Amino acid sequence: MKKRLPRFDGLTILQWTIFLFFLVFLVIPLLSIFLVSFTGEPINLPGSLIDSRIFSTTVEKLSHASLEGYQSLFGGSRYLTALWNSLKLSMGVAILVTLVCLPMAYAFARTDMPLKKTFAALATVPLVMPTFISSYAFTLMFGQTGWVNHIWRAFGGEGVLFEIQSMLGIVLVQIFFFFPYALWPMVAAFKTSNSNLEEASQNLGAKGWFTFARVTLPLAGPGIVSSMLLVFTISFSDFGTPIMMAPKNLNLIVVEAYREIAGFFNWSGSAILTVVMVLVAAFFFWMQRLVVRGKEYGTISGKPSRVKPVANRGVRTGLTLYTLFVMMVPILAVGSIFLSSIATTWGYQALPNGYTLDHYVTIFSRSSQNILNSLILASGALILSVVIATFVSYFVIRRGSSGLDFFSSIPLVIPGIALGIALIQTFNTPPLQLTGTAAILIIAYTIRRMPYMIRSTMGTMMAIRKEIEEAAVNLGASNLVAALTVVAPLMVPGISAGAILVFVTVVKETSISILMAPTDWAPMSLAVFQNLLRGEFYTASAMSILIIAIVVALQSIARKITRDPLY
Amino acid sequence: MAFVAIRHLYKEFDGIPALENVHLEIEEGEFFALLGPSGCGKTTTMRCIAGFESPTSGTIEIGGEDVSRIPANRRSCGMVSQSYALFPHMTVFENVAYSLNIRRFYRGGLSDRVSVLAGMLNRKLGRVNRETEEKVQNYLKLVELSHLGDRLPGQLSGGQQQRVALARALIMEPAVLLMDEPLSNLDKKLRNSMRVMIRDIQKKVGITTLFVTHDQEEAMSMADRVAVMSEGKVIQVDTPSGLYSHPAHSFVADFVGSSNILRGEVFPADEGEGSWIIIPGEVRLRSDSRREKGEAMVLIRPESLTLLSSAEAAGQGENRLSGSIRWAAYFGAKVRYGVDLGPFALQVDTVYRSGEPLLQEGDAVMLTVEPNQVVVL
Repeated sequence: MKKRLPRFDGLTILQWTIFLFFLVFLVIPLLSIFLVSFTGEPINLPGSLIDSRIFSTTVEKLSHASLEGYQSLFGGSRYLTALWNSLKLSMGVAILVTLVCLPMAYAFARTDMPLKKTFAALATVPLVMPTFISSYAFTLMFGQTGWVNHIWRAFGGEGVLFEIQSMLGIVLVQIFFFFPYALWPMVAAFKTSNSNLEEASQNLGAKGWFTFARVTLPLAGPGIVSSMLLVFTISFSDFGTPIMMAPKNLNLIVVEAYREIAGFFNWSGSAILTVVMVLVAAFFFWMQRLVVRGKEYGTISGKPSRVKPVANRGVRTGLTLYTLFVMMVPILAVGSIFLSSIATTWGYQALPNGYTLDHYVTIFSRSSQNILNSLILASGALILSVVIATFVSYFVIRRGSSGLDFFSSIPLVIPGIALGIALIQTFNTPPLQLTGTAAILIIAYTIRRMPYMIRSTMGTMMAIRKEIEEAAVNLGASNLVAALTVVAPLMVPGISAGAILVFVTVVKETSISILMAPTDWAPMSLAVFQNLLRGEFYTASAMSILIIAIVVALQSIARKITRDPLY
Repeated sequence: MAFVAIRHLYKEFDGIPALENVHLEIEEGEFFALLGPSGCGKTTTMRCIAGFESPTSGTIEIGGEDVSRIPANRRSCGMVSQSYALFPHMTVFENVAYSLNIRRFYRGGLSDRVSVLAGMLNRKLGRVNRETEEKVQNYLKLVELSHLGDRLPGQLSGGQQQRVALARALIMEPAVLLMDEPLSNLDKKLRNSMRVMIRDIQKKVGITTLFVTHDQEEAMSMADRVAVMSEGKVIQVDTPSGLYSHPAHSFVADFVGSSNILRGEVFPADEGEGSWIIIPGEVRLRSDSRREKGEAMVLIRPESLTLLSSAEAAGQGENRLSGSIRWAAYFGAKVRYGVDLGPFALQVDTVYRSGEPLLQEGDAVMLTVEPNQVVVL
């Protein structure tokens, strides 16, 4: 095809509009916060572009840029402790999750463990809960007055099983609520690594455990390492657990950054922490990609071979019981919240004193605005995501726009708190004073969840071969009619599944909501958070159950849509 | 006057020529095959006719009308592509009815438009009129799929999908039917029966058909005429038997059927028709082809050589070559021998009669060939 001059048709204008959207709401905020980390003062980049006075102050501030902030970071301040603690936490969680998942993944992939389907369904439970609600649930179980400790004391224990407001508490919550992220990739790794080689090893006289350690594990290695790195990034970016459970003397980087901005309005500090967070998350994300790409012999060699059941009955029973135990912890957590949501009072004994539905009445009467807010905000993010994701996929796949592909995947490596801080910094002042509006909240949600939505729409768009469109044109339809009658109906399942998932994650979203939502736009998750701070535990529980119910209902709908077997 | 006429067609992709001066004339009702290896430009030619590629230069006429400037959706070319490109979300019936619905959409009133669009978005909303219903049923009957109208394409076998695509293309009664490697996704047995079926339907409907394929057997067995393409150019257009017996070029000879191609020097014969050819090793062959003196390629088909054991081959004669068996390959009905003639080797096909012993490696043999079977290219 001949090189053409840029065409100024509707689609081109649309493409530039989307570029502009990412530029204004993603690139400029990130760039600004990066500059702020050097200047120590807020910077107004959009303003600099239109107002010469703002421009000159910006230049003035930039001329004072220094490495002072970073020097104090590495000079042994609180920040360094926070970073170090966060790294320790995430590494610990990543390693422990991998160890916890190893036997389960092996059992799923290589044995005829019973109840596999049930276990697979149970493994979705941890993912429907926002982590700060999971943390709250753990407090209901393991806190001073938690039912586990009542049982513990009934059997003669002293005080509490362990202190829940501690590093250990955070680690436990993250293990039991992040393990599904690692489990399925590891199952896949075990499935694809060739079991013929194991048979060869056994055939050569190696014992079962020796084969596992020297053949099975190394072959599944890349898959395991990659999921370990994934868990690291998730744990590092997680805000809900630390904000609920970190004791005063335990600095964690996400909490520290949140306090600097929400408590003290300290731009310098929060900017530095944001930059550090993004760099760490991006680095581990990049490492994960590298592992997956580099050593593919374990993951692509050969077709998945048939499962050869492990002969040993004892091993099988052990694995089943173990899996059941891991899966039951999150279930018990949800159960605890549910029990708390229908309890008159709970805490003096292992079980509530009485049961009531009053808390639900309360949330529907007093917090109906929060419910409504959540639904409106999530719908807004859903609509914006659908529009942007659909067109981005179209531009990337049919017009080869790699720029949009890159921009739209940046949010994958930005922790929620970091994105929130960057957006607040940029949109705090005119000309684009949006902080505190529903609009910026919706945009923040949209940008944060964009990569997942785009993955879904791109997948569907790629599955629609160009030939099908051409066939429609050949049969007499114009391009537009072909798009309406053939492409659009084929994309509907992918778009709606993606849209529902965006809706779900927005309802679940913690960090952005807590950081950015103004009082009159407080969504449900923020309401739960504030109720917990105020000590209104029972209504918090009821609201949590409502969130979980919405998430579960919508996710099952999304799954139904995507599982359409016919095409 | 040709029904489809392609004149001086050139096409470049990013400056790289894909078609060079393609010139084709297809008669009305003809089954015309474009044959060539992959990348030879046959699909590009077809896509230019369908309107999915715009030629760099040249004209395309269908039924005497220049269609070069008519957009793809108004060209009246029915197309069946290699992957069939059925609409996966529509039933067989809806797939076949698509073009009728589209026509109704463009030509009908507002209510027709709404009804068609609604019907494509949700099956229950669409209403099908009697006319459409009957016509679709007729075409489904034509391809023997009347009983599968309610199935989705995903529930059909490859051969059935192929027939749906055919019915879908035929129902709009196009001026030309374009088929792009329609059989290459089917297994061999199915391919053979589909060949017969496609040819039958084409004859019944009487539609001018352009059939693109890389499979010479397919082209030869189905088409009225075949155009052989290579590197963006049309090398030869002829009937299948014409191509086989009188290839105009060594590429055609080699591509169509198996062949022995030798390089030699041609001398016009002094007396009568034909020429003498001297091939390396001072071997002299008599050919009925008449050529100017000079270097040339000579084609001898393996089956036109006769193989005699040296005992049978007493006496002298024209076009006798002596050699020895180097290898034998047994194909059931025939046996192919590789015969070593010193400076070169020839492949020879013989009919195999059961019970007869095969010749062994090293056996001395004599080859003969009729002068009319020695083709100078």
